[in-house]
Amino acid sequence: MGTLTDISTIARWEVKKSFTMMSRDILPIAVILFVLLVIVTGFTAQSGIHLQDGIYVVGVDDPKIASLFASDARFSVYQLDDQTLLANQNTFDLIVINGHVYPGVTDKAKSALLTVSRDYSQYLNSVYNNENDLFAAYPLWIDSEPVKSELTFLSTQSGQYVQAAPGRATPVPQGTVQNVPTPSPTLALSQDQLRQQLITSSAKTSSLSRYTKTLTPQPSMGAFVTPSQLSPPLPFDSIILIFVFIFPLYFTSQFFMMSIMNERIERKGEILLSTPIKTSSIIIGKLLPYFLGMLAICTVLSVYIKASPIIILPLIPVIFFFLASALMIGMLSRSFKELSFVSIFFSTVATSYLFFPSIFANVHVISLISPLTLIVYTIQGTTWTVTDYLYSTSLFWLTGAVLFFIAAKNFKEERLFSEKPLLVRAREFLYETFSRKHPFVSLFLIAGFSIPFVFMVEMMCLVLFFNIPMPYSLITLLVFAAFIEEMAKAVGIYAIFSSDPAFLSWKNLLAACAAIAIGFLIGEKLLLFVTLAQISESVFGSVLFLSLSALWLPLLLHFVGVAIVACSLKFWGRKGLMIGLVIATTIHCLYNLYFILGVL
Amino acid sequence: MDTRHLLIIIKKEFRGLMNERTILLAVLLQLFIAMFSSFLMVGLTSMYDPSSLSQYSGYQYGIGYAGNDSPLLDYFQASPDFKVYRMDLSEGIEALKERKLAAVVYVPDTLPDAQIPVKITLYTLQNDIQAAIVDVKLKDIFLKYEANLRQVRAGRLNELPVPVQIPPTQGGDFYEFVYGLLIPLLVFMPAIIASALVIDLITEEYQHGTLETLISTPVTFEEMVWGKVLACELLVPIQAAAWLILLMVNGIPIQNPHLILLNVIITSFIIILIGAIAALHYRERTAAQFIFSTALVVVILFSLAIPANPLNLLARLAVGTAGIEQWFVLGATGLIVIVLGYVTHRYAEKIGREHHIG
Repeated sequence: MGTLTDISTIARWEVKKSFTMMSRDILPIAVILFVLLVIVTGFTAQSGIHLQDGIYVVGVDDPKIASLFASDARFSVYQLDDQTLLANQNTFDLIVINGHVYPGVTDKAKSALLTVSRDYSQYLNSVYNNENDLFAAYPLWIDSEPVKSELTFLSTQSGQYVQAAPGRATPVPQGTVQNVPTPSPTLALSQDQLRQQLITSSAKTSSLSRYTKTLTPQPSMGAFVTPSQLSPPLPFDSIILIFVFIFPLYFTSQFFMMSIMNERIERKGEILLSTPIKTSSIIIGKLLPYFLGMLAICTVLSVYIKASPIIILPLIPVIFFFLASALMIGMLSRSFKELSFVSIFFSTVATSYLFFPSIFANVHVISLISPLTLIVYTIQGTTWTVTDYLYSTSLFWLTGAVLFFIAAKNFKEERLFSEKPLLVRAREFLYETFSRKHPFVSLFLIAGFSIPFVFMVEMMCLVLFFNIPMPYSLITLLVFAAFIEEMAKAVGIYAIFSSDPAFLSWKNLLAACAAIAIGFLIGEKLLLFVTLAQISESVFGSVLFLSLSALWLPLLLHFVGVAIVACSLKFWGRKGLMIGLVIATTIHCLYNLYFILGVL
Repeated sequence: MDTRHLLIIIKKEFRGLMNERTILLAVLLQLFIAMFSSFLMVGLTSMYDPSSLSQYSGYQYGIGYAGNDSPLLDYFQASPDFKVYRMDLSEGIEALKERKLAAVVYVPDTLPDAQIPVKITLYTLQNDIQAAIVDVKLKDIFLKYEANLRQVRAGRLNELPVPVQIPPTQGGDFYEFVYGLLIPLLVFMPAIIASALVIDLITEEYQHGTLETLISTPVTFEEMVWGKVLACELLVPIQAAAWLILLMVNGIPIQNPHLILLNVIITSFIIILIGAIAALHYRERTAAQFIFSTALVVVILFSLAIPANPLNLLARLAVGTAGIEQWFVLGATGLIVIVLGYVTHRYAEKIGREHHIG
């Protein structure tokens, strides 16, 4: 009961503090800016975004066609006679003579041609949509039926062709053939319903509405499309989700970061720390208003875009992770500059982690490693399962929890008010979580809990290297994964060595390495078991998580790796870290290569 | 204003940045995003236009064709991308599940000139990159068939559109994304970082209580402010140039890099000065950053809504279509900078006097 009262007191105090600080002639200016923002948004919606104006230059001989293209601001249209056009063909990206488009040879010309053809088909649609006989204008309709294949991730991920190249003979299925009913030759919708769908989907889109459209759930018209509507989903749709959902969260976590930082600069935190209130209550209390605020923002947004409230579920772990990182950054940085750089860096990395997989939503399972994909699904009306949820959010929950634990352990005077460099502080923070009585247990736990971070970074690499041509992507991934794992294993021993070099006697060193190796292996096993079964089955997975085949071999590998680092620390002091890491990574890579060559 | 004093302040700030080594993070960030943009280029281009990767060109996809004969079958047979097999629908779908085919189509017996439309059913694999690629190729075939059917039913249309013959398009989808969005944003990002930095530098003096010491030296308050502004401004062209070089190394040719840098230098002054004014006014980081970022959104949104804005100019310079009008845009931007610079200077002077009296 006492804890709850403490938490609510601190939460109220935090709210009051930020409001008194904000009131100093911020409110009037904020209101003015907000009004300006609304006006400007309206203005922009009306005038459109003029970012790509005039990037193409086209020459046309017919005034009708000229006016057709001039309606797209991306074109600078020149109407000239045929002779001049032909003579100056190189100054144009493309020319149109007698109704024929002649593009140049550059990439830009290709892009201009694509834009022209899109504009033209939009024009055609606007003409055809008004036809009385809709089925004369649109005589062909396609009903898309997705088929689920049993071989999903395994074969597509290997980067090889899914099917064998088609041969002469008609392929014969091996499995039992299930009878598929013959599809009906008629559309299930009336002409008017279809017309309505055509008009909404081809409504002359300004660059702004092109984006806002993705947010409102499309009326479900079944899977009937005309050929021109048949195209893979635009991958950049999720950019807008980043801005709408993630940006406000990032913004609010900035305030939390600053509140922690201010406490440290103005040394107000000292008074609070001298009270009998538990540190965990202080942290939770300070964090609660921001958490609720972020939740409120998300709720308002999801109500605004009329999405299902389920959309909040994948956002909660993201909020949790953002707040944990904000707390950590606020506690670690020495100055405002450092705070800015670290938080910009963090936000970019976190944003890309969220964004890049989600552009593959609907296309590939890999997209599920980002909670944002679940948001895309929710907006589309696709259902997702509890497994999907666990799969895409577990890393956020785990890393967030670990960060909170470390922060709570270090939320005390001598850590908060020291002026040491970032990395030194980070090391000290880690050392603080060590139990003095059972250092090996601590090393074991640290190794185990480093796994979610390792997976997060490796997932990032997977996404990054995913598209480099095949052999290189595997090799790069191999080296990076080995290096990241060796680094994660070295962290604990490095922290203990820097703070207490005497600890590393030969006996302790061996015991420490064993503790880390076992902790790492168990952590890896557990997390893989829970979440990543799908990815770990692919060839990429076998590079990342190869070590699962037998138990004693990977254990030995982990042990050797961390022992090399520990020994080089012992011989060369802190400078030995890099040398040790390089040697350990090389050995790790060779080990993996040996097995991969067996695998492939 | 004493140039020597300015230089002292600039040097001091740079030393501070170097000491903390956090500037390294900014460099890392740059590399990181460059990697991602190449990921976008290679990855997504290959996904949407598979023939751009040599390994995919000349590859044939197996298609199962079920139902009635139609011109569609001829189009499939004529296409170099597909190998078509006439088969039973159920068998075709089982073969598709076993990944022996890329897609299965079913065509009903609707006559080409019937009152109802021809409805074909297309079976493809769910959640699969290759299915997306096949979709792109199938679209071309279906469009041909649609044109053919339209021709048959042309008599029933009331209005014929202006005819334009467009040759088949290939690739190019990412040109606009890269030049029309990525480059302006990336080149402009250092300016945003620099303006956040100027707020940090100014509010730090207040919140860490180091201002009094600075004021007691011969350096005046205005000189201090301008020194900080210039220190941040210096970072902009360095970072922007690094961006341009990274992009070029990544195989994205950029025209007029010198003019782009000139534009970035002048335009970035606007937001750095706005940042400086916010910092001088609030003298506290949270408030200043909050007001500044809101103002920044307003300014950027507003400028994007005007034709020929500086960001558009960056895109046009990069693709080489900026004409004489670029100098007017630059001139207008310069004018705004002069006005803001004057405001900043007067404001700093006023605050400086207060400090000396107080």
